[in-house]
Amino acid sequence: MGLVFTRLFSSVFGNKEARILVLGLDNAGKTTILYRLQMGEVVSTIPTIGFNVETVQYNNIKFQVWDLGGQTSIRPYWRCYFPNTQAIIYVVDSSDTDRLVIAREEFHAILEEEELKGAVVLIFANKQDLPGALDDAAVTESLELHKIKNRQWSIFKTSAIKGEGLFEGLDWLSNTLKSGGS
Amino acid sequence: MFSLIYGLWQYMFSKLELHVLILGIDKAGKTTLLEKMKSVYTNVEGLPPDRIVPTVGLNIGRIEVANRKLVFWDLGGQLGLRSIWEKYYEEAHAVVFVVDASCPSRFEDSKSALEKVLRHEDLKGAPLLILANKQDLPEAVSSEELARYLDLKKLDERVYMFEAVSAYDGLGIRESAEWLVEVMERSKRTEMLRLRAGALGPGSA
Repeated sequence: MGLVFTRLFSSVFGNKEARILVLGLDNAGKTTILYRLQMGEVVSTIPTIGFNVETVQYNNIKFQVWDLGGQTSIRPYWRCYFPNTQAIIYVVDSSDTDRLVIAREEFHAILEEEELKGAVVLIFANKQDLPGALDDAAVTESLELHKIKNRQWSIFKTSAIKGEGLFEGLDWLSNTLKSGGS
Repeated sequence: MFSLIYGLWQYMFSKLELHVLILGIDKAGKTTLLEKMKSVYTNVEGLPPDRIVPTVGLNIGRIEVANRKLVFWDLGGQLGLRSIWEKYYEEAHAVVFVVDASCPSRFEDSKSALEKVLRHEDLKGAPLLILANKQDLPEAVSSEELARYLDLKKLDERVYMFEAVSAYDGLGIRESAEWLVEVMERSKRTEMLRLRAGALGPGSA
């Protein structure tokens, strides 16, 4: 009986918190996504040196979203933020086909990290508004997502500028985290 | 010394996970099936069907049936995404192919997708469970009827079964899971995958 009440209580007041890292190469659109999620508008951003962190409340989950700068020189510092991370949002500029190889290498290096073993992975194939942007199936192929076999992943076509696909991604994330993650 | 190694060997085997691929065209009910499996076999409440969105990627479910560890891989079924299915074949011990039994207009689509799956070298000898899903709907056809519709050739050498299920209300879910464990236990493919995992050593698989 007590258990029923506890469940009811947490489903009504569901105060789950999750730490999410937003990662990706420079100029992928991470900061634009963060503020689109948080404020619902497009802010003009400058390259992030360091990090931005905001809390986004969605589907009864408090997402603590860390947007870490994507430039080569600061990528090694990502590691400092890995502990206690439930999910990674990996953002790719789908129109920057030249750098998809680097995006793939960085991505798989992240997945190797011991401290991120339990984290589920959401991929945003961003900048779908740009001509020549690859679709979800093509980005899946380029990033070699099929190599992921021990954790849940999902990919969404997004346009941070237009606000498309982002909340669909968060829906997936909140469902996945609620149903026990990986 | 020998018994120590032998014990370790056995221990490794019992810990070995059995990988089951859940395939089928979009809207067949693959993720709903996975969530139902989770609800039935774990103390984690699976997602309710109305919360499930089309899968674009991989969902994973880990359950234990009859002391065996099963890992379900549920892959998205939309046409553009089916190309990644085959990347998971090599390591799969068995395949569950889900069909929406209430939607005959898409049986042809299911049939050709399934035939393609069965032709693939990497799935040789993998036991196959074909589910006539959505039995909770009045228009759903029986598993026998579905078998007739699909009219699969060249299944003889493969261990297979048709089962009528409802991922929505749970009909046939336990029977399906138990059948899978039973056939995987004695399949040559499981043996082959075991040997390969053993040869590569733990951790590299």
